[in-house]
This record gives sequence, structure tokens and C-alpha cells, in this order.
Amino acid sequence: MRREEKMKPINDNTLTALTSLKATIPFVLRIVFSSPLYIAIAAAVFTTFWFIFNVFDSLLFFSPIVTFYLPDDAITGFILTNTTSVLMGILVGMNVYVIRNSKFRLDKSMVSGSILAIASSACASCSSIGFLIISIFGGFGIITIDLLTNYQTPLRVISIVILLWALYHVHKKIIKPCSMPA
Amino acid sequence: MMNIRVPIIATISAAIFLATALALLISLSVLQQYDGIFYVYGQTQRIAGAQQQITNATSSSNKLSLSSLTSQGSPYQGSKSASVTVIDFSDFQCHLCARYVKITEPRINETYIHTGKVALVFKHLPNRGFDSTPAALAAQCTQDQGKFWPFHNLLYQKQGQIDSGWVNKDNLKKLVSQISGLDMHKFDSCFDSQKYKSFIENDIALAHSLGFTETPSFIIVKSDGSNPQKIEGPQPFPAFKAVIDKELGVA
Repeated sequence: MRREEKMKPINDNTLTALTSLKATIPFVLRIVFSSPLYIAIAAAVFTTFWFIFNVFDSLLFFSPIVTFYLPDDAITGFILTNTTSVLMGILVGMNVYVIRNSKFRLDKSMVSGSILAIASSACASCSSIGFLIISIFGGFGIITIDLLTNYQTPLRVISIVILLWALYHVHKKIIKPCSMPA
Repeated sequence: MMNIRVPIIATISAAIFLATALALLISLSVLQQYDGIFYVYGQTQRIAGAQQQITNATSSSNKLSLSSLTSQGSPYQGSKSASVTVIDFSDFQCHLCARYVKITEPRINETYIHTGKVALVFKHLPNRGFDSTPAALAAQCTQDQGKFWPFHNLLYQKQGQIDSGWVNKDNLKKLVSQISGLDMHKFDSCFDSQKYKSFIENDIALAHSLGFTETPSFIIVKSDGSNPQKIEGPQPFPAFKAVIDKELGVA
């Protein structure tokens, strides 16, 4: 009985937080992407990363002819890199919005969010440029590429989680000026 | 709270981001070719250098002619009188090579190899992991008994994660024993003595002389080794068709 009483407020809080996110995220997205400028920024970032990821994943080729194909073994990776590209586009668009519209001072989460967002997207593609790592680091590079190739999918999932975390923090920064002190 | 204002950090982040994206774009040759002409200056130099490398490598004693490759003992498929040769530099641990073998190679076989127009030669470029070289040595030993291609297909079919032990020495012997009609005694003697160590090293040296560091990489030549054309990566069939048809003179 006591246990149930203890659990109830936690569940309520989680539910409230989730309900709040369900409302605030679409609200923030509507605010930011109501302007064509941010849509253009997000589209440019998405396109850049889409090209980079698909070239690294050997799905898109420019020579001898321009070709794109999606073999069965690459579908999971393609979905993950597309998700990363979309998140990167949204995140950069939202960051630019924050930069242009706020006068507040930067806190640690904002810095770490932006850095991690860029680092994680680089990490998602690093597993496909193994030959460069090997040529630079020799034998040690082989071990690195083993890990990066063998754990490519989990690494990409981690990068998406980091991007979502960064997105949550940027969204908080955008809604913060709207909240009234109690 | 940090005492740095948003615009400063934002400008630096944006500059780093844009510089990185631009550098990657240029290095990936996104702007590169249009009808064989390379418009980015740095890229023009690099590609021109690579083409010179191919010319140098081929001009010395026609290393890439089909007769020279087959006489050295390189595994091949197709007719010896084929007018075009596709030379494949691959690693048995490379998952992109497996993608090529499963998707593109059957179509090349069907369209060009079985019709006698093209011959396919395999060269070893073991660079993906520590077990890549033993796998290449074992494969070359199966060539002694005319069983290279069944073993090649088996390895790509059973491919595991890099250096996970799937092609360690014991597992290689188990895999070889699955090839019917292969004398295990002869194979063990060849494999244990590393008979083809220098052969594999020569293949690697040839790949490097052509500027290949990545697998799979291909060079498509006329049967006398002339007019070399490079294809890098596990490209789909239309990319190979474009180059092969040009070499055959039907494009």
C-alpha cells in the first residue's frame, strides 16, 4: 500500500513530462519552421549530410556514372543515416533560431549539445572511412576499424540518441523565454 | 552559466561546421566529374596523378594483360580470348566486397563472362583485418587444385564480422574441407608453409601501384592490358556496364 503511494507521484510526473513534451515539441517546431529561412537551413544541412553518409556507405557514386542503389544489407544503415540527417537538419535550424532570437548567456548543456551533435554525426560516418584510419594509424587503425565496422549499427543508434538529447535541450532553450516565473 | 555570449560560440560553431562540410564535399568529389573532365582544381591534380599511376603500372611489361595475369596464377573466370578483362581487388573480410559478389558479380557473369566477352580476374588486397591475409593465402591454395571460385563464393556466403575468428586458421581449414573434391593433405601443406605469401604481397604491391587502398576496387582493361579504367567501391551493375561496353566498343 505504502509502495503504491510512493510510486504514484513518480508516474504522474513522468506522464506530465511526456504530455508536456508532446505539446511543446510540435509547438517549438511550428515556431522555428514557420520561417522559410530555417526550413532552407534545415534542408541544406539534411542534403549535405545525406550526400556525405550515402557516399561513405557506398550507396551513392559519382564516377564513372552517377548511380544510387539500396541493397538489402544496407537498408538498416540507410534508415539510421537518414534519421541522423533529418535530426541534424532540425537541430542546426533550431540552433540558428536560438542564436538569432535570444540574448541569454550560453550554458554548458547548449555547448555540449551542439558539440555532441556534430561529433555524433561524424561518428556515424567514421565506420565507413576505415581505409583512411588504417592508412593513418597502421596496425592500431586495423583494431579501430574492426570496432567501427563491427559495431556500426549500435554506434549509429547512439549518435541518434545523442542528437535527440541535444534536440531536447535546444527545444528547452526555445520554450524557456515563454515560461512565466511562478 | 558560462560567460561566453551565444553569438561568438555560434559563429565559431557555424564556421567549423561549414568548413568541415565543405572540405568533405570537395574531398568526396561531389563537384568532380562531368563527362570525364574534373572541375575542382585539387581533384584534377589527384585524378590526373592516379591516371598517370595506372599508365606507369600498365606500361611496364603489360602487367595487366590477361595472359600475364593468368600465367602468374591469378584466379580467373571466363574465356582466355575475351577482349576485356575485369580485375577485382578484394578482401574476404570486407563486407562491401560481399555486397559486390552477391549483387553485381552475378549480373556481370550472366551478361559478359558467360557470353565470352569478358574475363574476370581476382587479385588479393587483404587490408581489413588481421585474419584477411590467412584467408587470402587459403584461397590461393585452393586455386592450386582448381577450387578457388567455389571457396571464394563460400567465404563471402559465410562472411562474419572482421577478425571475429570466422577465418582464423582452424576455421579456414574447416571451411576448405566443405569444398568437394579438394585434397586436404595438399591444401594443408600449401597453407601451413605459406606458399603464396610472396604472391599475395605482389598483389598488394600491384594494388598500391595502381593507387588502390580500398576494397573492392576494380580495373577494367582490354585483354592486352591497355586502356585501363578504374571503378572504386561495390558499384551497381550499370556502372560496370557503362565502362565494359565502352571497352568493348559497343557504347
